[in-house]
Amino acid sequence: MRLAWRGTELWLLLPLLLLVPLGFVITHVAESQVLEPGPLGLATAYVALVLAAHLVLVLSGHRGDQLLLPLVATIGAIGIVMLNRLPGGTSLLGLNIGLAVTQVAWFGIGLIAMLAVAIGFRDDGLLRHYKYTWAAGGVALLVFTILFGTEINGARLWIYIGPIGFQPGEFIKIVLVIFIAGYLAENRALLAGASYRIGPISVPPLPYLLPMLAIFFGVMLVVAVSNDLGTALLFFGIFLTMLFVATGRRSYVLIGLLLFVTGSYVAYRLFAHVRLRVDVWLDPFADPSGAGYQIVHALYAFGRGGLFGDGLGRGLLPTVPGFFAIQTDFIFTAIAEELGLVGAFALLAFAVFLVFRGLRVAVLARDEFSSLLAVGLTTSIGLQTLIIVAGNAKLIPLTGITFPFLSYGGSSILASFLIIGLLLSISHRAAAEGDQVPR
Amino acid sequence: MIVTNARRLGLYLLLSFALVSGGLAYWQVVDAQQLASRPDNPEVIAARRSAPRGSIFDATGKLLASTAISAGLARRTYTDAAFTHLLGYASLRFGATGLEQAFDDVLSGRSDPNPLRDILDKALSRPPEPKDLSLTLDQRLQDFVAKQLGASVGAIVALDPRTGALLAMTSTPTFDATPISGDPNSAGGAMTRLQSAADRPLIDRARQGSYTPGSVMKVFTAAAALDAGAITPETTFPDQPKEETQGFTVQGFRITEHDLGQGVQPALWPLSPAMQVSSNIFFAHVGLKLGAERFLEYARRFGFCAPLQIGDSPNALPVGTSYVTARASGGGCTPFADDVELASASFGQAQVHVTPLQMALVAATIANGGVMPHPYAVADVRAHAAGAQRSDAVVQRYSGGGGSQLVGGQVADEVRKAMVDAVQAPLGSLYAGAAAVRLYGVSGVDTAGKTGTAQRGGNLAPHSWFIGFAPAQGGGTPSIAVAVLIEGGGPGSGNAAPIGGRVMAEWLRLQSASGG
Repeated sequence: MRLAWRGTELWLLLPLLLLVPLGFVITHVAESQVLEPGPLGLATAYVALVLAAHLVLVLSGHRGDQLLLPLVATIGAIGIVMLNRLPGGTSLLGLNIGLAVTQVAWFGIGLIAMLAVAIGFRDDGLLRHYKYTWAAGGVALLVFTILFGTEINGARLWIYIGPIGFQPGEFIKIVLVIFIAGYLAENRALLAGASYRIGPISVPPLPYLLPMLAIFFGVMLVVAVSNDLGTALLFFGIFLTMLFVATGRRSYVLIGLLLFVTGSYVAYRLFAHVRLRVDVWLDPFADPSGAGYQIVHALYAFGRGGLFGDGLGRGLLPTVPGFFAIQTDFIFTAIAEELGLVGAFALLAFAVFLVFRGLRVAVLARDEFSSLLAVGLTTSIGLQTLIIVAGNAKLIPLTGITFPFLSYGGSSILASFLIIGLLLSISHRAAAEGDQVPR
Repeated sequence: MIVTNARRLGLYLLLSFALVSGGLAYWQVVDAQQLASRPDNPEVIAARRSAPRGSIFDATGKLLASTAISAGLARRTYTDAAFTHLLGYASLRFGATGLEQAFDDVLSGRSDPNPLRDILDKALSRPPEPKDLSLTLDQRLQDFVAKQLGASVGAIVALDPRTGALLAMTSTPTFDATPISGDPNSAGGAMTRLQSAADRPLIDRARQGSYTPGSVMKVFTAAAALDAGAITPETTFPDQPKEETQGFTVQGFRITEHDLGQGVQPALWPLSPAMQVSSNIFFAHVGLKLGAERFLEYARRFGFCAPLQIGDSPNALPVGTSYVTARASGGGCTPFADDVELASASFGQAQVHVTPLQMALVAATIANGGVMPHPYAVADVRAHAAGAQRSDAVVQRYSGGGGSQLVGGQVADEVRKAMVDAVQAPLGSLYAGAAAVRLYGVSGVDTAGKTGTAQRGGNLAPHSWFIGFAPAQGGGTPSIAVAVLIEGGGPGSGNAAPIGGRVMAEWLRLQSASGG
């Protein structure tokens, strides 16, 4: 196998050598009030892991997109600097392991998974031809979670095997994208072509749309029952986006949005927990020490941050008593407080770059299935980021989903790296085939 | 086609990110100032966490509340639970109540009582300079009062009728406010326990309680009717003796007399004996003669039907509204529904609901020649003293006095005489029984008073009331007026009146001890 010199990737990763330890030093000095570097083992380990992944890609002659890994590693680095000073963590063999240590370990596992997929998946037949099997597996996992899962914060989305819990939703998301991509690639012409018209709205031929909608609404129903609104919104968004890209019909998206709004309204009328969430969203200051506590303090944190922020390590959000979900739901807010609007915009800019690189992979892909797969995977990352940030900023009701690569959580990290692995593998094939058959 | 659509998708996602960024900019820049000024913002609380705060002393310079800063955390300590409701608490977690809230700007030093210095401080952005407070209350009397209430649920208010200076004001059950004001992490548990306690210790019954007054209201009815010219001290009602036994029918409703006590024979009573035996029939007639309009007008004059306050804004301590009729939807009192309600209100039943402080002010008004003093609790603001020794540098002194003439001096004198008789004259002694308040009076000092036994309906024990003042000789102005309320305490003469007598006697003793 030939080496592939990945110069852009290396150049973009080099700043991390300086920036990650610097972040650790600044937060340590801010916290201890002593001018000393503090422990840097974790920062070194993180940078080493990322560089090692780069090295493996080089050695395996991988020719996938060179911006994906640096973008992901930078977002992850900001998260780890923040997590390093938050209390909590997991207990293993009587030893308390901090959040950041656990997170770096998950990054290690995630990078290995990414490399395995990026290098190992040289043929997408496994995904394309067995899409119904994948879908069935996803549905089975979902049903299993609902029947046997553990409920945390009112939403049942965890499965515990011994002390280790994971969130199947993160992986079902990927399976959903694979299925939709496979189905759309197969039936795209039919879906986009002949259609019935009801008034000004064109409706796709039912025999092709029905099985898809059936499976999809089944998933939606189950997600709604498990009280995981964020995931429901994310799944629906991914579905509509992929349908739009495959068919180019805005009317499908409009119908879908209409359905979603109607469904949301029905859920609002039917379920007390949904009503509570929406009411808290509309006026969190009505009960600032009760139901509105989290969002009120998130808004205070944004306000304190202002344009340029309190400074790294000087945010007050981690000191708010009873505010527990920083590492998962509110890590973006904590960073916006410390780095200000400028830092928040920079973080969002990284996310936007990531989305654009993902869409570039889709555009350059050699076949429709790969394109749609890349679109779906990229959208899942982009929408997930939008939903959690908009929830933090009270633009939509708050939902408990993670900021990819930034939030704490093994399932989220692992699933997000699987997505990057798939994107790398798609772009590698496009580059390799491009050599053989010049366009 | 997929390529075109993917590019379009990129544009839509970019627009969505721009939209979210706009939302962030709103909170971080546009609305930031407004968010930063909210009191539960950790930024505001963090600034207070380590901020010094002025101490509070009693009238004689004994330390009641002080702040010590240890490990970067300001902890407020209170020395005497008898003062808890008046002082309130200054908590890092739950904000401030009571005087701690009313005088927060002074205690924290965020504003100087001197407006000129205040402007200078702000213009030069000088660091806040906390100030201390001295109360008008004397710890010796306050502790005595709290001990008198003991385990009963109730409230006592005592003030100087000449100035309005509060001498004692306590509410039971009380609690120690130090745990709430200390470590914010453990404050929550202490607060939860107080909030869930069945006897509701967090309520300041003296200021915020709302109780049926019963017969203590007759002092107001008499003063209003005399002042309006509806009655004179000699006025009698011919049917009253008969009605004492047979009942007084108003608009088809029969008002009956309460048990007048052994040995009391109904007779044609003018004001003084009617006050002594506390005849409901007599006062029902008085109220009807006064009329609904004038009754309400005098009630408003006396401070009913609107919220009161202790001290003056911007440092006023709010006091709940007392009502003589039902509560109107926009606040205040509704008109009387009918004559039955008016007749019942005249002896303090029906829809009459009052705060103990309001009734203390009614007593003080009679004591002060018909002028209602404005109550206040803080005597002066001083430079901050770090230790338990009060500074001598007075920044601002508050003084009472003033107040408006609610009823004529002659009228006040006539009511005073009836109230002295209610305690000391033969019928009054007979009615009040062995536990009469005069037993606790200081020798050579007349005592004026009126008991109340407020019926609550059902099987609930009546509230026990007493209002009074001393010394009550003609010509002089009394130096203390009190209101005593004991929830479900039974007859006023048996429970509240002896306590009222002891409190007044103790104050006169303390005064003569320090004066001589």
